[in-house]
Amino acid sequence: MTSGHAPHETPEMRLGHDLVRAFAHLPRERAAEEIATHIAKFWEPRMRHALMAQIRRGNTDLHPLLVRSAEHFVDGDIDRGEVREPSGG
Amino acid sequence: MSIAAETDYGTPAVAARTDVTVTIDGHGVTVPAGTSVLRAAAEAGIGIPKLCATDSLAAFGSCRLCLVEVEGGRGTPAACTTPCADGMVVATDTDDVRALRRGVMELYLSDHPEDCAGCARGTCEIQALAVRTGVAEVRYGRGGANHLAEDRDESNPYFAYDPAACIVCSRCVRACEQIQGTFALTVSGRGFGSRITPGATDFLASECVSCGACVQACPTEALTETSLVALGMPTRTVLTTCAYCGVGCSFKAEVQGAGPDTRVVRMTPWKDGGANAGHSCVKGRFAYGYAAHPDRQLRPMVRNSIDDPWQEVSWDEAITRVAEGMRGIQERHGVGAIGGISSSRCTNEEVYLVQKMVRAAFGNNNVDTCARVCHSPTGYGLNHAFGTSAGTQDFASVEQADVILLIGANPTDAHPVFASRMKRRLREGGQIIVADPRRIDLVRSPHVEAAYHLPVRPGTNVAFVNAMAHVIVTEELHDVTFLRERCEEVEEFLHFIVRPENSPEATAAETGIDADQLRCAARLYASAGNAAIYYGLGVTEHSQGSTMVMGMANLAMITGNIGREGVGVNPLRGQNNVQGSCDMGSFPHELPGYRHVSRPEVREIYESLWGVTIQPTPGLRIPNMFDSALGHSFLGLYVQGEDIAQSDPNTQHVEAALRSMELVVVQDLFLNETARFAHIFLPGTSFLEKDGTFTNAERRLNRVRPVMPSLVGKDEWQVVCEIATAMGYPMSYADPAAIMDEIAATTPTFAGVSFARLDAEGSMQWPVTEAAPHGTPTMHVGGFVRGRGRLTQTVYVPTTEPTTRRYPLILTTGRILTQYNVGAQTRRTPNSTWHPEDILEIHPSDAQMRGISSGDVVALSSRVGTTNLTALVSDRMQPGVVYTTFHHPVTGANVVTTENSDWATNCPEYKVTAVQVTVATEATRAAYAGREAAVRG
Ligand code: SF4
Ligand code: SF4
Ligand code: FES
Repeated sequence: MTSGHAPHETPEMRLGHDLVRAFAHLPRERAAEEIATHIAKFWEPRMRHALMAQIRRGNTDLHPLLVRSAEHFVDGDIDRGEVREPSGG
Repeated sequence: MSIAAETDYGTPAVAARTDVTVTIDGHGVTVPAGTSVLRAAAEAGIGIPKLCATDSLAAFGSCRLCLVEVEGGRGTPAACTTPCADGMVVATDTDDVRALRRGVMELYLSDHPEDCAGCARGTCEIQALAVRTGVAEVRYGRGGANHLAEDRDESNPYFAYDPAACIVCSRCVRACEQIQGTFALTVSGRGFGSRITPGATDFLASECVSCGACVQACPTEALTETSLVALGMPTRTVLTTCAYCGVGCSFKAEVQGAGPDTRVVRMTPWKDGGANAGHSCVKGRFAYGYAAHPDRQLRPMVRNSIDDPWQEVSWDEAITRVAEGMRGIQERHGVGAIGGISSSRCTNEEVYLVQKMVRAAFGNNNVDTCARVCHSPTGYGLNHAFGTSAGTQDFASVEQADVILLIGANPTDAHPVFASRMKRRLREGGQIIVADPRRIDLVRSPHVEAAYHLPVRPGTNVAFVNAMAHVIVTEELHDVTFLRERCEEVEEFLHFIVRPENSPEATAAETGIDADQLRCAARLYASAGNAAIYYGLGVTEHSQGSTMVMGMANLAMITGNIGREGVGVNPLRGQNNVQGSCDMGSFPHELPGYRHVSRPEVREIYESLWGVTIQPTPGLRIPNMFDSALGHSFLGLYVQGEDIAQSDPNTQHVEAALRSMELVVVQDLFLNETARFAHIFLPGTSFLEKDGTFTNAERRLNRVRPVMPSLVGKDEWQVVCEIATAMGYPMSYADPAAIMDEIAATTPTFAGVSFARLDAEGSMQWPVTEAAPHGTPTMHVGGFVRGRGRLTQTVYVPTTEPTTRRYPLILTTGRILTQYNVGAQTRRTPNSTWHPEDILEIHPSDAQMRGISSGDVVALSSRVGTTNLTALVSDRMQPGVVYTTFHHPVTGANVVTTENSDWATNCPEYKVTAVQVTVATEATRAAYAGREAAVRG
């Protein structure tokens, strides 16, 4: 995942994979939660829906960690406390 | 306001713990010990004649006009160089003193033109002093040797030097040294033959950066603004704030006339300006002419398609078309199909209303601001670490710094007035470490020599900052007590940072920084009494921009360099109101004061006040707007004062997005690049017409006061109100002060702010609260805003923009002193004399390999586009890295930048683009000519 963006990535995939790279150093579940939290905090819903649509279609170009993080949206299982902190940026 | 006279106390104020009391001409006056007799007299209302002294400069004692008698003392000492001693009794106007002064004045007048225009204007101090000292005629005659026939130097477009009027008091030379720190002027020759020269050349070709400090310091007509000569004396003054960079200098706009016929004669920096203390740069002082430029579009215009010609219409018609167009799109495509972009060039009040219009009238959170493309990672990173999306210090703090770590910023070009302050500190013994791919002026310039220049390769900042922290922790230079008492996630961080992959040796191949140099720099930073970090877009505009901001916060926390004067983590903000536009809730995920839209208790504040429901989910950021436009779900955009088609990355992508929209509304001074894709153009107002506030990089709210009424018939905040109202959401305010009152009532950090209080205090730094009623110069004293400071494991992730055989060089971008951002303002002033085009700087070895010489036209290509530029072969660059500015639309540096962005904020990775540079061919020239034709229209 470190050798550049695939040319056929949609914007959501590109942004999602940026998050994967940013959190890849964390243990898998923690990373998935961080990515899900970030997406909940900063992504407009249509972007999230576009990503979910890709996942539902079974797009194999999606990184498994991104797919795992998306399960947290489905479950609604993200750290709301984090969203409540001042946000910045 | 009439002309605002500022008292010149003759010598600078002295900060001392003890006071002394002296008697001057029978008046007792108490001053801090060390104060000159000249200043003490001025404070007592006694004006001792003076010529070489002025209170912005250290006393020099050369003109001998300020002579006084001191009881019990010998002779007649100069009041400017004589410090007050307790109990001293001074006489300033005895017969002896008067006679001596008359003699001195006669000598000056014998070599001073009789027809001096300054006498007529009343700007020449000589004339006034001649009257005061009673010199009616010159006993020596005017026929002797003199300088009256020497040539004027009119090379600088903004001021002229007339040697005939020069009295060689050297105020200009000292201003250039002490205030500006450029050392461009010298006194050449000796005695009668001594003259002021800008080196062996004229002003334009010299080292002079046209800051105007010498012009302001000159007591005669010798250095005078060209505008003053052309227009004559101003008749009134308005105190306002510069609209260029994030320093936010205060100015006296000195003007003639009234109403729409008002003309600015000159801008003079305000001595009591909190940010600038009487100094300015060439942009703020001189480059205001764009506001009256004939290119300004003063009437609203509409067209059905972007291929149609524009048609001027009334405001009512334009606003109705905006409202109907936007509502129509929402009816067809949904509430979220429209949005707005606010500008850091606008006031807090204007920006606040744009986000209110989007949230209340558009009914969504699709509002973003141009900070997205510059300092959004600052907001994210500092907030994550400290709990506040802002710099930690005031500018004056740098005067207490022992070591300055400057990363990815070039203050002498981009933040010149702050750079002068920084250089003064360096001359006084402060040290500087410069981490930058280029050898910028602060690495070496007159009287400045960086302790270390770490030429970090673009894209590897995080590896660099981690290596700094690695050295500090492994060599046990970290502040264990500070970490224990004030920080969290400490153990995790320490465990992470000591890992061998973070060592300078392990990262050297990536960063390009010599490991030994980095170790020494880290030790210097960690062992300084006060170490302060200053940074710019060379930090933020990276795919790891936010990570790097957190990395710098780590560095400050592990060394305890936060929470007092002289330390901290300080963003140098690019635009005048970047800080303010972020504070005002311009981001799509947060309401004013950086409070997330998902928080019901925050939404409730605005919902009850505005009478609407606010969406609890984030809106689209600028890049998401473009992507959604291309995906046909975003079709209407209102853009206030930002030229997204020129300033945002990957121009082709932006242009395609704009073309695909149904309604683009641009509000601006000029028909900018974005207006090429607009359907409705609404004229904007310049800073000279605005009433409001700007917030600078040190969180300082400064008043912007209208010098003249709006030249377009409406104020920008009114236009926003009228659009909202026409869309069915009535919005109105009595004046901008009422808008600030609403901001203060709803945003805790602004609770104590009002126009009245700002007018009384001059300026205030937020938070302004009950606990800090006068504002907060230094943040996080005694504790962080978020409680404990958070350390973050800032893992280095290489950019996805690697160099390849096809694109083997890295392009990085920056600014030059005389131009500003996309150049819309500065290109419409004589500032283009210095920088008429963007230049590509390339290292000699890279140039030689490609057969490129300085002055060649070269093609610059990346995987997304190609442009042409003129090359400058320069060893300021390191091999493998090329550099250009982005001030000119014809070159369009963003034609080659890509859609890569910061993982957290989508701030574009402007600073890293893999490129190739070749000598331009027929084909690239033809492609460029096509672009030039389109841009120039
Ligand atoms: S304009 Fe500024 S830089 Fe130029 S000579 Fe005067 S003080 Fe020095
Ligand atoms: S330093 Fe910045 S704010 Fe000050 S005069 Fe220059 S551009 Fe304006
Ligand atoms: S003002 Fe004191 S010597 Fe010139």
